[in-house]
Amino acid sequence: MPGKEDNRMSCSEFDALLSQAIDGTLAGDRLSEFENHARVCKLCGPLLHEAEAGRSWLKSLTEVEPPDQLVSNILLRTSGVLSSRHVTGEHVPTSWLGRIRNWAGVLASPVVVMARQPRFAMSFGMAFFTLSVTLSLAGVKLSDLRHMDLRPSSIRRTYYETTGRVVKYYENIRFVYEIESRVRQFKEAATPAEQPSEQQNNNDRKNKTKNDTSGQPDQKQERNYSQEGNRPIFAASLPIYRGPEPVRFSTVGAPEPTVVSVTTCRRFS
Amino acid sequence: MEDAQLAALLVRRCVAGDAVAWEEIVQRYHRRIYNLCYRFAGSADDAQDLTQEVFIRMYRTLNSYDVGRGAFMTWVTTLTRNLLVDHFRKTKHDRLTDSLDATTSDHPDAMTLGDRIPDEGPPPDSGVQSRETKETVHEALQKLSPELREAVILRDLQDMDYREIATVLKVPEGTVKSRINRGRAELARLLQRTYRQVM
Ligand SMILES: [Zn+2]
Repeated sequence: MPGKEDNRMSCSEFDALLSQAIDGTLAGDRLSEFENHARVCKLCGPLLHEAEAGRSWLKSLTEVEPPDQLVSNILLRTSGVLSSRHVTGEHVPTSWLGRIRNWAGVLASPVVVMARQPRFAMSFGMAFFTLSVTLSLAGVKLSDLRHMDLRPSSIRRTYYETTGRVVKYYENIRFVYEIESRVRQFKEAATPAEQPSEQQNNNDRKNKTKNDTSGQPDQKQERNYSQEGNRPIFAASLPIYRGPEPVRFSTVGAPEPTVVSVTTCRRFS
Repeated sequence: MEDAQLAALLVRRCVAGDAVAWEEIVQRYHRRIYNLCYRFAGSADDAQDLTQEVFIRMYRTLNSYDVGRGAFMTWVTTLTRNLLVDHFRKTKHDRLTDSLDATTSDHPDAMTLGDRIPDEGPPPDSGVQSRETKETVHEALQKLSPELREAVILRDLQDMDYREIATVLKVPEGTVKSRINRGRAELARLLQRTYRQVM
């Protein structure tokens, strides 16, 4: 009867020695008893073969390659420091292009992480729309951005040029508004208070958007983007372009805000 | 320097605020953790998410690692395994509905288990394994119960010894061995059964 004690070894003893036997660490009398039991027991014999086959199948599975961006995503979501090159940037001279890339990465990362959150996605969409309208009004074509020179010096130059244009545009708009409000005042003086002041409504709306955003840096940035477009494109981001950020890795016990993010970054790049 | 010593040193430096040490830890262990997650959870996307979660948790709790109480590798594996258990519980419902579908593979063009299993199944160690065969074994592995799956992964894919596995799973060594035996045998039966159906 299978499963019954055979020779001097029971099935439970056989089971206890099975992994050792497969590992090849069983020897001497125990091994011959084990092999005897495997030959005669109709339960344990097949079990030995199956376990051996299963182990072989498992051993055929080779290590898989993790995705390329996994390490950088992990670093981004933990220490917030992209790579050691970035950390030691002040001491170890790295390539000029590499440094730019690091800055861009550090700059973009919190924005991108935040933008991935649904509650910000809409705001970002609106901000981008406002921005593109403002830019096109200010004479900057979005298609030109693709060919934009991204060297810091030229970015600074573009920034001042754009600022100039936007300020000019803003001044013009202000001029138009002032004329409009004068005309309205004339009208109001002519007709008694019939219409609820449109200007008042606009002001209320403006105040509301201002009050909506808290003092958090990321939201501050978002507010800059969505604010009527009276700030040029680089006004929000340029001050951060000062060079490699100081090491933000402090202590493990006090994690950085980026660590707290719950969204996953598997399709980050 | 030995692996354990190096790991302990890295952890100390990291807790002291050394970002380079943290990156070194990530570089050293991400592959292993990713593979553990991939083999257990089954999909590359889940493995990527889980690996990130493991490191986020590790980063937060690194100062709780006590060098005197065991190898860093065991600590990391325990951390990973705990997250895998959570993940398994969370996705239980999805899996039950998904199980009605034939394949569990990531690849849209994946064939069913039966399509790919070789006739008579040449012993896996007898030659070069095709990508399809590996995919088939990986799929079969997903059909094991989580207790058996984790045991065989830790033993045969992560090459941990019984004592370490017992520490990670918090069960006696005898239980570990028994699960490994049953897991291996069950996997072989699954693969055999599939190719018998084809014949
Ligand atoms: Zn027996």
